[in-house]
Amino acid sequence: MSCRLAIVAIICLHGVAARAAAPDFVHDIRPLLEKHCYACHAGEQAKSGVRLDLKAGAFKGGDGWGPAIVAGDANESPLVQFARGDDPDLRMPPNDSDLPPLAEHEVAILVAWINAGAIWPDGIDTATVVDKTDHWAFKPVQRPAVPAVHATAWPHNDIDRFILARLEAEGLQPSPPADRRAWLRRATLDLTGLPPTPDEVEHFVTDSSPGAHEDVIKRLLASPHYGERYAQHWLDVVRYADTHGYEVNTERPNAWPYRDYCVAAFNADLPYDQFIREQIAGADQGKEASTGFLVTAAVLLPGQIGKDEASMRAARQDALNDIIVNTSDTVLGLTVGCARCHDHKFDPITARDYYALQAFFAGVDYGERMLMTPESFVLRKEHDAAQTRITEIDRELPRYQPLARAGHTRPAVTPQFNTDRIAPVSARRLRFTIDTNTLEPCLDELEVFDGEGRNVALATAGTKSSSSGNLVTAGRHELEHVNDGQYGNGRSWMAATRHDSWVMLEFPAPVAIERIMWGRDRTGKFKDRTPTAYRIEVSAGTDENDAWTLVADSTDRLPFGTKENDPLAGLSAEDRATVTALEKEKAAAQARVKAATRDMRVFAGSFKEPHPVHLLNRGDAEQRKGQVPPESIATFASVVSPVRLPDDAPEAERRQALAAWLTDPAHPLPARVMVNRIWQWHFGVGLVDTPNDLGRNGSTPSHPELLDWLASEFVASGWSVKQMHRLIMGSATYQQASAGNPAGLEHDAGCRLLWRFPPRRLEAEAIRDTILAVSGRLNLAMGGRGFDLFKSRGGLAGFTPIETFDEAGRRRMIYAHKVRMERDAVFGGFDCPDAGQSTARRRQSTTPLQALNLFNSSFTLEESRAFAARIEAEAGQESAAATDGDSVRWQIDRAFELALSRSPDAVEASAVEAVVGEHGLATLCRVIFNSNEFVFVP
Amino acid sequence: MTSSNRISFTGQRLLDRRGFLGNSASALGSIAFSSLLANDNLLAATDPIHPLIDPAHPYAPRPPHFSPKAKNVLVIFCAGAVSQLETWDWKPELVKWDDKPLPGGPAVTFQGPAGNLARPQYAFKPRGQTGKMVSEMIPHLAELTDDIAFVHSLTSKTNTHGPAENFLSTGSIFDGFPSIGAWVTYALGSENQDLPAFVSILDPRGIPQASSNNWNPGFLPAEFQGTTLSAKDPVRHLAPPGGVSPAADRAARDLLAQLNEHHLAQHPEDNSLAARIASYELAARMQLSMPALNDLSTESAATLKAYGADDESNPTKAAFARNCILARRLIEKGVRFVQLFNGAYASGGVLNWDGHTKLKEQYDVHAAVLDQPAAALIKDLKQRGLLADTLVVWCTEFGRMPFFQKGAKGRDHNPDGFTCWLNGAGVKPGVSHGATDDLGVKAVENTHSLYDFNATILHLLGLDHTRLSFRHNGFERRLTDVHGHVINEILS
Repeated sequence: MSCRLAIVAIICLHGVAARAAAPDFVHDIRPLLEKHCYACHAGEQAKSGVRLDLKAGAFKGGDGWGPAIVAGDANESPLVQFARGDDPDLRMPPNDSDLPPLAEHEVAILVAWINAGAIWPDGIDTATVVDKTDHWAFKPVQRPAVPAVHATAWPHNDIDRFILARLEAEGLQPSPPADRRAWLRRATLDLTGLPPTPDEVEHFVTDSSPGAHEDVIKRLLASPHYGERYAQHWLDVVRYADTHGYEVNTERPNAWPYRDYCVAAFNADLPYDQFIREQIAGADQGKEASTGFLVTAAVLLPGQIGKDEASMRAARQDALNDIIVNTSDTVLGLTVGCARCHDHKFDPITARDYYALQAFFAGVDYGERMLMTPESFVLRKEHDAAQTRITEIDRELPRYQPLARAGHTRPAVTPQFNTDRIAPVSARRLRFTIDTNTLEPCLDELEVFDGEGRNVALATAGTKSSSSGNLVTAGRHELEHVNDGQYGNGRSWMAATRHDSWVMLEFPAPVAIERIMWGRDRTGKFKDRTPTAYRIEVSAGTDENDAWTLVADSTDRLPFGTKENDPLAGLSAEDRATVTALEKEKAAAQARVKAATRDMRVFAGSFKEPHPVHLLNRGDAEQRKGQVPPESIATFASVVSPVRLPDDAPEAERRQALAAWLTDPAHPLPARVMVNRIWQWHFGVGLVDTPNDLGRNGSTPSHPELLDWLASEFVASGWSVKQMHRLIMGSATYQQASAGNPAGLEHDAGCRLLWRFPPRRLEAEAIRDTILAVSGRLNLAMGGRGFDLFKSRGGLAGFTPIETFDEAGRRRMIYAHKVRMERDAVFGGFDCPDAGQSTARRRQSTTPLQALNLFNSSFTLEESRAFAARIEAEAGQESAAATDGDSVRWQIDRAFELALSRSPDAVEASAVEAVVGEHGLATLCRVIFNSNEFVFVP
Repeated sequence: MTSSNRISFTGQRLLDRRGFLGNSASALGSIAFSSLLANDNLLAATDPIHPLIDPAHPYAPRPPHFSPKAKNVLVIFCAGAVSQLETWDWKPELVKWDDKPLPGGPAVTFQGPAGNLARPQYAFKPRGQTGKMVSEMIPHLAELTDDIAFVHSLTSKTNTHGPAENFLSTGSIFDGFPSIGAWVTYALGSENQDLPAFVSILDPRGIPQASSNNWNPGFLPAEFQGTTLSAKDPVRHLAPPGGVSPAADRAARDLLAQLNEHHLAQHPEDNSLAARIASYELAARMQLSMPALNDLSTESAATLKAYGADDESNPTKAAFARNCILARRLIEKGVRFVQLFNGAYASGGVLNWDGHTKLKEQYDVHAAVLDQPAAALIKDLKQRGLLADTLVVWCTEFGRMPFFQKGAKGRDHNPDGFTCWLNGAGVKPGVSHGATDDLGVKAVENTHSLYDFNATILHLLGLDHTRLSFRHNGFERRLTDVHGHVINEILS
């Protein structure tokens, strides 16, 4: 402690009026702050947004407590309250930190200084404020001049000039070109995720025409398998899955049209700006699936959200946050999600910007929508026809019910479903009285039909329900469930008493009724609490004095629980036959309705009236501040025309406005972000190696000029992704061999300067697809509902892997039904994204479980046998394989050519021949599928 | 811990890096080394620490940030939210308030309308030297209270099971973040190179509610995923399915090694190829060592009886007891992080601790499964001297309300005040830290979020939770996000 400070402390301790000798900021206060506070509360990453190294920061305060210093009032200054430990739990520095707490005399100095007016002279701060807007990626894309190079013969195109100029500056040389087999294998795996066939290899190796490489690129880009490969990259980023996630992880049955939309978009080379617009604002009729983008995240279903208001508001905020994060991470490469609780610590994004962005999505909900494709129109017709037939049958069937109270014996009551047919009677009210059960009785639905077969009991038809009393389990047993049109215990009414309970329906107007249908649980799960003895009465009026007339009761039914209950008791043989036929037809029609209802819908967001959006203090839905309109991120206003809509702007207009802003060619981010992704998909690492973050906390580009050159080229090409592929793959850079050399390794082991083509392991999907392609069993059918990797498609009880796949299961892995958070049992371990958070770049880990899975799984062994059988079948047709020895050698050659695009060398051939001779070809196939060469892009 | 201590361990890290790099190809090593130093700013005391992973030996032991109290962790994870009021948090006032409404209490909680307050459903008795009141529901675990440090004042961020289990295991309510076991093995590797570093033993009744989120690596490398197994279900793909003869299997393995070595010779500079070769070697060692783990025939009858593994009258308990024995074996063998689940998925409280409607009836069943085997496991660890290095964590995703749900005899979710505890290495024995109010509605004294609880676990392992970090999508991600304070009061 400095001498001077000690003196001040003594003065304070002695109670000498602090005003008389107010502490000096530079000499007394700043050293205190330095010693106790600056470890956390200085610099750009100051905790809780509180900066005590800047005057403006200290008087502005942080995220939670307002200004840290209230000049003239030490007791009201959070700085003093925290330092003094007014609330011991909130003492600063924290109890568990290494920093010493302020001594009493030190607090006294602070108090004296603040009470004396907290004089903090201007211009003496040693720290400076960083201008968060001063960042390369926030500046307009400028097409840079192409640099000059010494080795002028090397470049194929301008990309190479940027790469080479940098290599030359670093004293490095590019690598020689890859041999043709390696290049073709690389290009084919890269663009399609499948290996080249031996014929393709042969053709390319012998094609000496100058345009041979371009021809291959053109052929591969025209392949529909290109879209499958690149859509997978995109789905990684947007964390696509076919289940809802979280603990229930229910199937999301109609998410797949979005996956297919992405495949088609890449195949069609849909201009990238349009691709983005369609995913956010919606596309033409028939492409409703595009907005699946908005709702790719995991989401809590209503049953998983607390019934209290606070839980519901928090869940809504979480759901919206996922839309914002997806949009900003994916399109802008900007971590806007950070600004949910406080202004972004690194980037010029305020919490207000975050909520202004949220306002664009305030009408978006996670849900399904009707598809408007030709297929769905056909389905709708089928659906309507089947539904009409069901209605007809429903009208028909009651005719074959024995009339109640008509002198014959009727079937016994069943827990699931009962009908009481009565002579038509006009009623304004209907009362269902339950005489008894050993437990409080329960009805899942009470339906009353008129002569047209309409259920007039429905609340939606204006009918009101009342009862003698309800035993409520919120959301499950409630009075309103008795006529809500929904079946099952989960939507049922339970009486409050065990005896003489009733539920009453009051119709909006008198109605002629002729049938009452009811059950305890139509889904058949629950059998207790069935009303075994009951009465149904009607009344013509609504006055309490109006008389009740008994129309049906249980007295003419067989006793409840009668063993061989005949549901058709009282019917003639002919009527019985008719009923049986009608019920069978109805079941078939219901199945058609169910399938059509499912298949004509898409999980692509549903849109509703937007709710008001408020700035939330610390991201807490319970701490609302002012309302915020839809508005683009303020900091970009100087480079992109800003968008601001009124508070009450219509829903669709909001998304359209945002999409237009995001795809404004002047926007500095989207083109850079996408060309960087494309680069990464080719080379394994992007020019910026944090592809979802081009902000100030992201990495700096390895080749900033090249990134901007590519971005400007991208926009100039009409945002053509395929044009980027042609450029990149046509480059000498891409064509280099992947072998290392000492100079390159010494200087740049990570190969960020691209002195060689960086080798990398194939992704999970590409390994599986390639195994199947090589075994000859890959099913190339595209699109549609996903095949199963597990024995269930969703649910909370876990996922048992399927071991053996039929033909549908041998489709490309992008068409697997993707269960969120559950990785495929064999290939998931190869860093397959779990669709929890965005996977902008796949990691490449190496684990013993990968080895066990690939070496020992039924999948590998079955495909090894299939691969061997394929070769043996081919060998049988080959005249070259005449003698036994020749045949084995031919088969080994063929295995290498199919799997590795080359023949074995002499060392390999002799090692392999012995094993094949003793253990058969399938053993070699198993080995090849596991080999390093097979799973690496050369 | 002093700051000089920290520097010396940073120095140790540096030395270790030199050691590791010295063993790798020298040219490559020196480049990697310099770029690491440049990226890591090793000497700045608050900067993130990214452990250096040797791709060929991802589970090699790595030094902690400072001297650790515990080397490995056993987490007993009770899924479904165990009621604190029926177990560890004694609320005598609740007896007086039984069947009376909670003045000013919420009308609606997670599942619906609130009913009246309800007394603890089990009697409580003083235990051990401390006289700590613990419920009769768990008589065997209750015997251990003198060794336990309870935290009675924990809070969660959500009242929904899935997100809450995510929060407990990953520090985030969202899907897709790395689990604590993944963080720990990413930081520290493992002491055993023949077994997975992080093992999750599933309850015989099924998976926990947040399922694989509890053991997933999230965005950490896949090496650090928990390997799931149980006494009845060994690791998948340990051996080829039928139809492959041992000789053919061996020949395949040898040929693969030959072809890979031949290929590597042409790409000598490529680390990832060498790492993949090493992974097959580790897999082969696992194939040898894993089957023995599940062979309980070497356990004495007395041990089986102590755990309840021989209890034929209660097959679920016996199966859980076998899982407990498996857990002990893994800890014994130096596996870094063992997660032992008790309770499965949402099932109306039938398969886990989610006692909404018939709490007492269901807890009688669940307690019989948990109590004796888990207590025997901890006693066994202690008796074998393993608690000197092992931290035992007992946890559940949140607690339960002091009132019953309307029309039911069970308690709804309560994230505002619940109990978890620590035992073993580095833990102060026999303390009860923090408190809920007199009725157990919420934590009122020394309140701690689960961030603090997880920070404390990392601390005991010698890891600074503010610095153990992984860069993902532009963030330095941590288990404790930007939160968390070590709960010093429960450390020895």
